[in-house]
Amino acid sequence: MTTEVSEMDSPALMKVSNLVKHYGDVRAVDGVSFAVPKSEVFTLLGPNGAGKTTTLEILEGIREADAGEIEIFGERVRRVDRAVKERIGVLLQEGNFEPYLRVREVLSLFASFFRSARSPAEMLKAVALEEKANALVKTLSGGQKQRLAIGVALINDPELVFLDEPTTGLDPQARRNIWSIVSGLTASGKTIILTTHYMDEAETLSQTVCIMDHGKVIAEGTPRELTSRLGQDTIVEFVAPAEAGLPAALGDRVRVARGEGGLVSVTTGDLVSTLAGLLDWSRSSGHALAEMTVRQPNLEDVFLSLTGRRLRA
Amino acid sequence: MRDIVAVARTQLATALRERITLFWFVLFPLFVLALFGFIFADIGERADLSFRVTVVNLDRGAARGNFGSDVLATLAGLATAAPGGEAPLLELRVPGEGADVRAFTDAELQALRVGRRDAVVVIPDGFSEALVAAVGSGSAAAAIEVHTSGGRTSSEMALRVIEQVLAGVDREILVQLGQFDAGRAVIVDQAEVGASDRTLAYIDFLVPGVVLMGFFVAGLFSVPGTILFGRENRVLRRYWVTPLSVPRFLAGFGLGHVALCALQFAGLWLLGRFAFGSQVDFFRPLALVYLALSAATFLAIGFLVAAVARTANAGMAIANIINMPLMFLGGLFFPTGTMPPVLRAIMLANPVSYLADGLRASVGVSVAAYSTAASLGVPCAWIVGCAVVASLRMKWDVGR
Repeated sequence: MTTEVSEMDSPALMKVSNLVKHYGDVRAVDGVSFAVPKSEVFTLLGPNGAGKTTTLEILEGIREADAGEIEIFGERVRRVDRAVKERIGVLLQEGNFEPYLRVREVLSLFASFFRSARSPAEMLKAVALEEKANALVKTLSGGQKQRLAIGVALINDPELVFLDEPTTGLDPQARRNIWSIVSGLTASGKTIILTTHYMDEAETLSQTVCIMDHGKVIAEGTPRELTSRLGQDTIVEFVAPAEAGLPAALGDRVRVARGEGGLVSVTTGDLVSTLAGLLDWSRSSGHALAEMTVRQPNLEDVFLSLTGRRLRA
Repeated sequence: MRDIVAVARTQLATALRERITLFWFVLFPLFVLALFGFIFADIGERADLSFRVTVVNLDRGAARGNFGSDVLATLAGLATAAPGGEAPLLELRVPGEGADVRAFTDAELQALRVGRRDAVVVIPDGFSEALVAAVGSGSAAAAIEVHTSGGRTSSEMALRVIEQVLAGVDREILVQLGQFDAGRAVIVDQAEVGASDRTLAYIDFLVPGVVLMGFFVAGLFSVPGTILFGRENRVLRRYWVTPLSVPRFLAGFGLGHVALCALQFAGLWLLGRFAFGSQVDFFRPLALVYLALSAATFLAIGFLVAAVARTANAGMAIANIINMPLMFLGGLFFPTGTMPPVLRAIMLANPVSYLADGLRASVGVSVAAYSTAASLGVPCAWIVGCAVVASLRMKWDVGR
């Protein structure tokens, strides 16, 4: 690794500038830049294939960038080396453990890789796996395996933690358990870089959200800042077999979008007029406004407004 | 060092808990030893081995014939390849014309002592006269000295072959002398060189071979299998984001593997000793060196396969391809002295040949065909070469 002391004096724990990564002709990461403030949860949000994981893998030392600069812990690095790895913790999106190892043995194994590490007993408690300490990995549920993976990522008491899609494929209870652990890390002052394609996860956990699409950063800010870009709009959603004639019935000041399962989404700045128009349209078209909800915009709506596509499409 | 020991413990624990690995590591070699032990227990009785025998004929004959020359001619006949292409039973050495017979005999006995001959037969001066006298008077039979190397299976086998040959010669001589009774005129006067009170059997030749085979199979198949399946299942990927380096991972993995080989060896040694009565003494310094070197060599070859193969299936295919020439041209189960030149050339590059030869010689069950330097040096060269390539090419993840 070649390192040089940064001339910049920044409160950010990590800075990324113009990061580029190609896979053949595909530009998977296309000039990505961002800064990760210390002691915050910084989330890369985007659909599958947006370049989040590739970006993260470059920062974790798994891949090498074709171009761009990385500054971490105040030093500019070309490649993440052993010294940096001593100070980071990584939860990979794809990664398994030896199925015939016991939970405690896994933690002991990974603890041995670092100069300084927390005790396995301490980590078992931190990720609520004390009762499974002597269980073989192959007997754990998906949520338990993910908690073990988080325990492994935190075994060296890292300053910076990478969590790549930590709740993908987990049931709601397991997701909430992971969220609870992540919230605890934030409270203890850890800096976390999180990737997710779950809007609610990003909103719940993040201080800063960086929205990516097609390898580029298309928006960055706090969840509130991002949603406020949509102004004072309100969103009315309902399920209907068709939305023909709806834009005409509601006027020019609304945006109408159709999602999966017949979900119709109407974004409006004048909720009262829009609701009246919707009732008229329902009566005249004969379509019921099934499962109608009225809510404020969220990050999914931000993504939709920026790309014209839904996050989980 | 903590990381290396932890990886070794992981390797050991997972292998012992996983039934398939346990089978291939421990049960399969025991099965092979039991199978070969039962099937080939009488291999020494068959002419599929070749023995290096020296014959010194000091007999000057008698009026009724030179029977020493007859014995020599009969043994020489066994040193000629059969018309069917079968290998000769004996590799015969005799003193050259005008040679100092006493010096030659001393040199051959020394060669026998260090394991370069399997037997030295000395037909004494006055053998024919003693034979005629024995037949005429019915007194004690004439003796032929057969020197063997105590404690070596090949020497024991050579003695049995010579005894059978002399029994046939005995009958012919009796017929020549007009005697048709069933008595013996020629007896073997056996003397051991480097004598031992142990009686060795084919199992003693077999046990070191099966030990090496166990190390070989574990190294060539289990090592790349574990690494490549770990890579495909994204287990190794997790190590990648830690400070653990590839060489340290390989060192830890290797340490665990050697520990498993030690367990495997213990099982084979116990089975050989208590089920088949093997008397092989592995607990000699040089033998222990060869055992450690064998485990390390096959481990390194396994690392090489894991490093060059892109997938687990490819790794197993590569292992299968190199398995045949390495194992079957390495003399693990049968002596290779009678192989065609092309195969012998492969043997010269085959670390298994040197390890099998060195280990067997070091435990005293066969003759060393290669020098100790070669038997230690060639496998070491393989270890260094494989380890360097593996360290440079080993990948934590698929397609990286």
